[in-house]
Amino acid sequence: MRLITYLTTIVVLCVLQVVRADPAHTNNWAVLVCTSRFWFNYRHMANTLSMYRTVKRLGIPDSRIILMLSDDVACNSRNLFPGSVFNNQDRALDLYGESVEVDYKGYEVTVENFIRLLTDRWGEEQPKSKRLLTDENSNIFIYMTGHGGADFLKFQDAEEIASHDIADAFAQMHEKKRYNEIFFMIDTCQANSMYSKFYSPNVLAVGSSRLDESSYSHHSDVEVGVAVIDRFTYYTLDFMENIEKNSSLSLQDLFDSYTFEKVHSHVGVRTDLYHRDPSKVLVTDFFGSVKHIVKDMHDQDNDFQAVLKDHDGTDGYTDHIVNLALSKNERNPVESSKAVSVGLATLRRSERSVVTFDKSKGKAKWSAVVPISILLGLLVLTLSTQSQNNLSSRTATAHSF
Amino acid sequence: MSQLFLRRVVAVWFAAIYALIGLPLWYKLTTIYRAPLPGEYVSSLRENMHADVHVVVPVYVRSDTYKFPDIHRAIQAQADALLRSKPSTIDWSLQVMPAEKNQTLDLESDYVLTLVLDDFTGYAIPYDSKETVVFFDDTAVLSNDVPFFAAQTLIEHTFAAEWTHFSGSTSVQDENTLDIDSEMVISYSPTMHLSLSLLTGDGRPVAWDIESTLNQYFTPLRRFLSPLVNFTVDTSILPFNDLNLGSLHDVQDPSWQDLAHSVDLSELSSINHYREKNVVNLAIVFPSPEAGQLAFINATQDRPWQSFMVPQWGALVVNKEALPDNARITQDYLAPVIYSFACELFQFLGLSSEKADLSTPYTTIDSFKRIMTLKNLEQGVETLWSLVKLTNQFPQMSVPKRVLADVERAVELRLQAVELINDPKQGNEAIWNEALRLSNDFVQVCERAFFHKEMVQQNFFPQEHKIAVYLPLLGPISVIIFTGLIKALREKHGDDAEDHLNGKKSLKFDSDKPLQSEDTS
Repeated sequence: MRLITYLTTIVVLCVLQVVRADPAHTNNWAVLVCTSRFWFNYRHMANTLSMYRTVKRLGIPDSRIILMLSDDVACNSRNLFPGSVFNNQDRALDLYGESVEVDYKGYEVTVENFIRLLTDRWGEEQPKSKRLLTDENSNIFIYMTGHGGADFLKFQDAEEIASHDIADAFAQMHEKKRYNEIFFMIDTCQANSMYSKFYSPNVLAVGSSRLDESSYSHHSDVEVGVAVIDRFTYYTLDFMENIEKNSSLSLQDLFDSYTFEKVHSHVGVRTDLYHRDPSKVLVTDFFGSVKHIVKDMHDQDNDFQAVLKDHDGTDGYTDHIVNLALSKNERNPVESSKAVSVGLATLRRSERSVVTFDKSKGKAKWSAVVPISILLGLLVLTLSTQSQNNLSSRTATAHSF
Repeated sequence: MSQLFLRRVVAVWFAAIYALIGLPLWYKLTTIYRAPLPGEYVSSLRENMHADVHVVVPVYVRSDTYKFPDIHRAIQAQADALLRSKPSTIDWSLQVMPAEKNQTLDLESDYVLTLVLDDFTGYAIPYDSKETVVFFDDTAVLSNDVPFFAAQTLIEHTFAAEWTHFSGSTSVQDENTLDIDSEMVISYSPTMHLSLSLLTGDGRPVAWDIESTLNQYFTPLRRFLSPLVNFTVDTSILPFNDLNLGSLHDVQDPSWQDLAHSVDLSELSSINHYREKNVVNLAIVFPSPEAGQLAFINATQDRPWQSFMVPQWGALVVNKEALPDNARITQDYLAPVIYSFACELFQFLGLSSEKADLSTPYTTIDSFKRIMTLKNLEQGVETLWSLVKLTNQFPQMSVPKRVLADVERAVELRLQAVELINDPKQGNEAIWNEALRLSNDFVQVCERAFFHKEMVQQNFFPQEHKIAVYLPLLGPISVIIFTGLIKALREKHGDDAEDHLNGKKSLKFDSDKPLQSEDTS
């Protein structure tokens, strides 16, 4: 028994030594997508919100989470618990309760918007909070849930996204160096077909079920009246609840935790595009946001000595970049006076904006128009009198007959 | 003209209009527009990156004691030989020129090499100018070593950054303070936002003289750096937020992992609120009185805080003690913080590194401009290449005219920047600022072309949908036109004659009818 304990300790220590955070990435992003509408798809919203809660708990800030929810079950009239979404029948945890920032909601959740999000092709009107502003140092966790089929996933009961589309979007992201690594997780029927067409490097994918295989819900809540979570997501969360920011568990541990008995479908993992061994990749490399915080080693006492107390900078001058800037500023006061604050900015005199009335032109026009109109008026008057005279003479002749 | 012929002509006309006008029109109106991008040119740019670039930096030589009439030629020859000794990724050279008698040289703008007679040989680069002083003794003059000393000093010390980045030299790593690939560095962008926050662990009132401090100490620095980066600044006070540092109050020497796992920066990572691409943060944190002293903070009597750096994020100034009641943080406290942050800011920009402080700011900033200009040119060409590659890879992707216009504009901007860089007669600070500005514009235009809104690939619009849209419209028209044409062509003259007769008979029969009816009436 003791031997087993010792061995276990040694193995754990070895794992701790081997599993280290990936130094290549410096920021983590999460894209969480629920593609289904309507009340009976409550569980898909709950799946996504559960993932949202998990990544937020592990330190990814809201500014780096893109949450797409195609329906608002929290405010659905059939919801017995208005404003709340639960993922378990014990209703211990309200997923919607605290500061949920939904970036795309309702009919904004479309295939086009999802592709735009990944490829970052937007108009200028798109706010930064709704964009995936990743770079070559970003690890992205993408979670999708909804109703899927062979090589497609339904969006909103109206359209589908094909596996090729996501694969091509990843290719475009890779070409523009918009990611370091992607961890793609999908919980739909026939989910594994969705990652089968990926061809870009550094993408690790996991799906809930094989081709021609359904993905199942876990359990229903009698009072909510519908299923509240899917099996695959349920067991993912079950694993994730044991993860803290300093956890040393790897993605392989997560994959090993899925069994057919639990999930009731064959979970698939695609690692051929991924250059690292999942057993050496920390879960927090994707789910958390670990910042390297280092002590500043530069001589801070020197900064204290360098601070110029008097404004002319002559007393006790020490070489420091701020002092250099100060002295340059002192030497070039002209430059500094150029920087006028916005409130005092003078309006530039623009030639185009100056409106002048050319009175002479106006006069000339008047001087021409008035006599011409008088002449015309006289002409018309003369003609009309003449025609009247003719008419009256003709009438007089007719009468004479 | 027989009726059959007429019918055939009409059917053929219908079919012809369908095929010759209808089909091309339909094709034209439904084809995705793809502007012809200069693929070959971009491809050749990428294959021969920087082939048309030759960075030339003018250096003026002056000698105070001796007159060396041809020293500039000798230094030029030595410098060229030294540069040739290493295969460079980017061609660069110095243009060594004599300083004319009445020429006024601005030591902050022009590179000046001053030769000073002394008892020893050596060099010095002052902190506040772009001057390089080379000391030589009479022995060096006799052995004709002065040109070599001067050339070596210039290349390996004054232009250490170029020597490392352009020529790939590793011999002067310590001299080269530029560390643009460091984990700490925030990617370069011509505009940057600086967010200053004061965090307190409790909610007691607190005030700080941040505005006057920034005006006095940071605004000159901001102005100093303005050719390189334009900063926008905001400040805020956040109560009830000590970044969860209170949980570490009794830890004596936490590792970076402990810090990283405890410190919660999520509330301060609100990059979305700023228009600028990049943000650098400075957070001054005071623990709450309940949490007590932070044992791990190595504070001194003068300095009650310790500074930490978070890669690509910013600096944390963590105080050992909590703030007293109704505290007002004065300039005396804030000025050293700004001084310390200024050094860290240079690390975040990549202008200095942990191992090398900024000892020659003027030359380092100038070298940074040159290196960033060339990096920008490289980045822009890579973006253009990605654009060309993707448009070839996805035939369904539309390429609007605006993208073509942007690509053409980008190519033009690149040529303008390259022209400035290559000109040996122009090399002062203003020229490098202009080259950097052009290269920044080049990157921006390339990005705009690549991320054009209309270039969302149409593959997600499946072929079945296209058939579903067009079939109800085109199906019936096609069936009527082509079956009508086939019928008209298959009819024979005999049928026509028969039809003709039948027609006559029926006419006769019909013409009889009214008569009969007249009779009956």
